[in-house]
Amino acid sequence: MRARAAALALAFALAASAVLSAQKPSAKIPRGPDGKPDLSGVWITGALQLLIGEDEARKIQQADAAAGRTLPPPEPAPYNADADKQRQYFLSRRGIDDPMARCFISGVPRITTRPLPFQIIQMKDQVLILYEAHHAFRIIPTDGRKHPDDIEPSFLGDSVGRWDGDTLVVDVIGFNTKTWLAGVGTIHSEKLHVVERYTRDSADTVRYDVTMEDPEVFTKPWHEHEIFRLRANERLREYECIENNEDLLRFEKLLQTDPTLRAK
Amino acid sequence: MNQRLSATLCAVVLLTLPASAHHSFAAEYDANQPITVSGTVTKIDWTNPHIHFYVDVKDPSGTVTQWKFEGYPPNMLVRQGWKRDVTLKPGDVVTVFAWKAREDPALGAAREITFADGHKMTAGPPAGTGGR
Repeated sequence: MRARAAALALAFALAASAVLSAQKPSAKIPRGPDGKPDLSGVWITGALQLLIGEDEARKIQQADAAAGRTLPPPEPAPYNADADKQRQYFLSRRGIDDPMARCFISGVPRITTRPLPFQIIQMKDQVLILYEAHHAFRIIPTDGRKHPDDIEPSFLGDSVGRWDGDTLVVDVIGFNTKTWLAGVGTIHSEKLHVVERYTRDSADTVRYDVTMEDPEVFTKPWHEHEIFRLRANERLREYECIENNEDLLRFEKLLQTDPTLRAK
Repeated sequence: MNQRLSATLCAVVLLTLPASAHHSFAAEYDANQPITVSGTVTKIDWTNPHIHFYVDVKDPSGTVTQWKFEGYPPNMLVRQGWKRDVTLKPGDVVTVFAWKAREDPALGAAREITFADGHKMTAGPPAGTGGR
C-alpha cells in the first residue's frame, strides 16, 4: 500500500513537472532580437526510428523518460457517422487510396509528421517552414495580417501566425480535400480549420499541439501532439516523390486482381 | 465488440502506427509473409520514392529467379549510413530479409540486408508501418 502511494506520488510529481515544463519554457531557449523564442533550425518528429534508425531513436526515448517528457495518449478521430463510414471504406482498402502514395503534397498537420526533416526559418514578420517532403514550403506571416479574402483551396491551406506569449500560434484554413490528416482514411472537408501551437520548451525541443476542427466530418475538435527534436548537424536533402513511383502501376494491378479492394 | 468500440480501437491503433515514407505497407505487402533469400545483386535503381534492387536467387535445382526489392528512398538511406554505388553494388552476395508483395511473386519490401562479411544494413521500414 505504501509502495502504491509512493508510486502515485511519483506519478503525480512527474505529471506536475511535465505540466510546469509545458507552461514555463526554459529560460535557456534561444530568443530573437524581439525576445520571442527562436524556432529556427532543422527539426524531426513522428516515427524517429524510420529516419534516424532504431538505436538513435531509442536514445531519444530514454532521454524523454529521464526528463519526464511525455505526450498525452493519441485521441481517436471524432468522426461523425457518415465520415466514419467513408473512413472504414478506406481502411478496408488497406490505404491503397492514400493521396501520399500518389505523391500529392501532404497537408497540415500530416506533412509535419512525415519521417522527413523540416527547417524553420524565423524572421521578423514571418516564419518559413521548408519541408524535405515534396519540396513543400509554408510562408506564415506574423505581422498581424488576416487570411486573404481570395483563398483558393490548396493542399497546405493558408497560414497566418501570431505570438501567444512564448507560443507561435498558426491558424490554417483554405484546404482542398485531396489530403488525409494523420492516417489512413483521415479525411476532411474544405471547412477544415487547423490551429497549430509551436512552443520551444527546451533548447532542443519544440512542443507541437494541433487542433483540427471540421463541422462536416468531426463531432468535436481533434487534437494531436508531437515533440520536435532539433538536429544540429542535419540538413534538408532532396525527396522527389514522382521520379519513379511504381506504386501507381502496382495499385492498378491490385485493384483488378484483389477482390477485397473492389469498390463497395 | 460493438462497431463503435471496434472503430475507436482501430483509430487508436492507427494513431500509434509509425509513419511511412511514402505509402501504406499493407496496400502492397503482406506482413504475414516474411521471407529471407540469398543471392547476387544484379542492379540497383537509386530512385525516389523508393530504391529498388535486384537479386538473382538460385534454388536447389539451379533455377535462378530474379527478385526485386523495394527500400527506403535515397535521402533516408543516406541518413542511415548508405552511400550510392558503395554500400550495395552489382556482384555483392547478400541475404535479404523482406516481406512478400501480395501481387508479384518475386517482389518484396526489404527490411535488412546482410552482406557476405556479416555486416547488416537497414534497407526499409518495418512491416505494418504506413498510413501516417
